[in-house]
Amino acid sequence: MADGGQGPAPAPVGPSPVGPLVVACLDPADLRQEVDPLTGEVRADWRRADLSASDGAALEHSLRAAEAWGGTVLALAAGPPGLDPVLEQAVALGARALRVPWSDAHSGPAVDAVALAAALAAAISQAGPPALVVCGDRSPSRGIGAVPALIAHHLGAEQALGLVSLTVDQSSQVVIAERRLDGGWRERLRVRAPAVCSVEAAGVRLRRAPFAAALRSSGQPIPVAASQSGVASTGAQLRIGGPRPYRPRTKAVAPPMGGTHDRLLALTGVLVAHDPPRIVGPLGPVEAAGELLDFLDGHGYSPPSGPAQ
Amino acid sequence: MADTPSPDSFDAIVVGAGPAGSAAALALARAGRSVVIIERGPFPGSKNVYGGVVYARVLDDVIPNWWEQVPVQRWVVRRSTMVMTGSQAVTVDVRTQAWGRPPYNGMTVYRADFDSWLADQAVAAGASLVTSTVATGLVRDGTGRVTGVRTDRPGGDLASRVVIACDGVNSFLAKEAGLLPKADAAHHTLGVKEVLALPAEVIEDRFGLAPGEGLDIEMIGCTRGIPGGGFLYTNRDTVNVGVVVSLTGLAASGVRPEELIADLKEHPAVAPWLRGAAVKEYGAHLIPEGGYDAMPALAADGFLVAGDAAGMTLAAGLWLEGVNFAIGAGLAAGRAAAAAIAQGDVTAAGLAGYRKALEANFVLQDHKRLRGAPQLVLSDRMQRQYVQLICDLAEQVFTVTNPEPKPGLVKLLLRGARRHKVRVRDLVRDGIETAKVFR
Amino acid sequence: MATVEFRVGARAHIVVDSDVCRSCTTKACVSACPANLFAPTSDGGILFNYEQCFECGTCYMVCNSEGAIEWTYPDGGQGVVFRHG
Ligand SMILES: Cc1cc2nc3c(=O)[nH]c(=O)nc-3n(C[C@H](O)[C@H](O)[C@H](O)COP(=O)(O)OP(=O)(O)OC[C@H]3O[C@@H](n4cnc5c(N)ncnc54)[C@H](O)[C@@H]3O)c2cc1C
Ligand code: SF4
Ligand code: SF4
Repeated sequence: MADGGQGPAPAPVGPSPVGPLVVACLDPADLRQEVDPLTGEVRADWRRADLSASDGAALEHSLRAAEAWGGTVLALAAGPPGLDPVLEQAVALGARALRVPWSDAHSGPAVDAVALAAALAAAISQAGPPALVVCGDRSPSRGIGAVPALIAHHLGAEQALGLVSLTVDQSSQVVIAERRLDGGWRERLRVRAPAVCSVEAAGVRLRRAPFAAALRSSGQPIPVAASQSGVASTGAQLRIGGPRPYRPRTKAVAPPMGGTHDRLLALTGVLVAHDPPRIVGPLGPVEAAGELLDFLDGHGYSPPSGPAQ
Repeated sequence: MADTPSPDSFDAIVVGAGPAGSAAALALARAGRSVVIIERGPFPGSKNVYGGVVYARVLDDVIPNWWEQVPVQRWVVRRSTMVMTGSQAVTVDVRTQAWGRPPYNGMTVYRADFDSWLADQAVAAGASLVTSTVATGLVRDGTGRVTGVRTDRPGGDLASRVVIACDGVNSFLAKEAGLLPKADAAHHTLGVKEVLALPAEVIEDRFGLAPGEGLDIEMIGCTRGIPGGGFLYTNRDTVNVGVVVSLTGLAASGVRPEELIADLKEHPAVAPWLRGAAVKEYGAHLIPEGGYDAMPALAADGFLVAGDAAGMTLAAGLWLEGVNFAIGAGLAAGRAAAAAIAQGDVTAAGLAGYRKALEANFVLQDHKRLRGAPQLVLSDRMQRQYVQLICDLAEQVFTVTNPEPKPGLVKLLLRGARRHKVRVRDLVRDGIETAKVFR
Repeated sequence: MATVEFRVGARAHIVVDSDVCRSCTTKACVSACPANLFAPTSDGGILFNYEQCFECGTCYMVCNSEGAIEWTYPDGGQGVVFRHG
């Protein structure tokens, strides 16, 4: 295996660590798993494993944070050796990489999230005290999204989950995080390091590795974290029943009122005056927005007139 | 790592990790040359669609016992050719168990599997593979000699002594080198295909196969008169169904390609085979179908073209073979490039060994022999009238007309010819032509 | 189309110049594109979306007017991903 000649505690590959440690916790998976419509069996193809959009964003945010702080990135993933090509991508981007061997990391909601988070947190602590841990907020392998919070718990770190933007303050170890609230509001949080954040794939895409780095990292062995003897499985937190046909509850509906003729008229709307659909040809963004606003205005959807514009 | 070649210069760059590219890189790596394959998809095969059967004997002397490792779906032991009209079908069916034993004949295989496997062979031999990278253009020196490629990655200009373009149909590198015209609808066909899921036992029952055995059907006359044909291939638990049609014919007809697949799936001879099958994947790809006469020059200074990039698919009715030609050409290109590098002469003249090798083996010999086939098979008479003629003839020969006595074959043929406005003169001439083309 | 994976890139790899299309008499792209991505608009132009493209090349090959279609491959790793092929 990759750690054959490297002594008992394998060092993650990549540049040697300087400055604060930023960990990107990734969950590479087959992004298009096949679900058998009859049996509900999920089939994933390891060779097609890749980063989901939110994991890509997590890695990008980690790289940016490490750049701002002058630190290093550790890309961490739990799973079988089939994941290594995905971690190679992170190495090509200048990160170190480490894989935690984990056999059921991709068994969907049935994964033992507590044990997995403990193993990840142990691997993180082994690599050094982290300043920031960034995860994707959505697991392509149908997890329930509990892992980031549990990692924060294990590390005793602050947590801010489901972020749409994440910037770090260059001079202090503070993370400025933004999160959606109901009604179109956002909240901006100042989170002190060490922190665990999970990010949506909002507004950032993973950068591309330079050719030389991609070439160098391809086929490089990815070190494996020492097995976590202290981590005991507590069993899955969710139990999954067998698949059954969907049987929605019956809903009582009042019998129709009025004669057939009236109901037909009401249903088809033939006697109600309405505007025919209109095609407004390809427009520039400004005109198109104008058209949409006018339409909404004309149909009584104008925004409440208030001081805010 | 010490054994990684310095990134800014290689002996050879191969563009495209299709069968041609992986074969070329394999040959170069075996000759001890530093070579990198650049593939634009996230993994080899991710961009490629084909019918479904690979004839891999060409690998015999480079990967001994390849059949023990290849990610095969089924070994083809039955090949049928079907001539059909809307409600008739005449089938010639060949079955031999010899094709189901080593060294085998044809196999069905998914391109995502096969191309990845072949690329792995090249990597195991020492080639480097960089995926998710598009070669966007050629780097040339003042004399026009190709000295490398540009890629779309940061810091992506690469230098090499030879560039081998294995970038498939549409080859923008061969176009940039001036070897291919920008767009050439007349010499290309469009293939569209559906992969349909059926349980393995159902496939074996419906097609008369034992586990592991496969069937391959080529069809003609199922494309609403648009020059082209159809195919059906069996995988382990899926069936590939698709059509291949001339681009000019398709554009002129105004028919949508999906409608042609839908027609084929509903044909009375095909529908019962596919009952209950669910679509797993729909895809489309172009095929260069010009044959020998439309092939470009195969070499320029510092530059070679192999596989579909050089129009090397043999697509002529009875055949739809490209992967084997691509591998054959890729191996020859890799060897010729390695020899030219060793000689220190990578000009077009120094690389001329490539064409010589192809002329000596099946790649150009088959193409040369069948150079008239594409035109003949896609001709209007062949596609419309003869298909009708054959189906009617077969139908009438086997229709028992009692109490009338059986009509003679010649009489039936002449009657059919008259009905479908086929002139006997044309029939005879095309017969001779066919004999000549397929001699 | 739902059966195929598309990793949609940020850049449109095919750009259709609707102004050129307005004078096109064949509109060959509309029926020939196997992914059905060319939609004629009421003013005689073409509305094109690049996201679910097979990258086959049919459109530029059959296109009637020089310069209507600007065709490139998507950036590396983006675009269609076939599982079977
Ligand atoms: C519908 C259909 C049915 C077919 N049926 C059969 C059949 O049954 N049997 C058979 O043997 N053959 C068949 N063929 C033909 C066969 O698919 C081709 O001949 C064969 O794939 C050619 O191999 P190649 O390596 O030359 O090109 P390709 O397989 O097309 O490989 C080219 C590779 O280059 C990559 N690439 C392209 N441009 C760039 C770039 N600029 N930068 C980086 N990478 C790039 C592509 O992603 C691709 O992986 C069929 C073809 C079609 C379309
Ligand atoms: S064929 Fe070409 S010019 Fe005509 S509508 Fe289509 S893209 Fe435009
Ligand atoms: S490349 Fe093919 S799928 Fe894409 S738009 Fe053109 S014709 Fe359609």
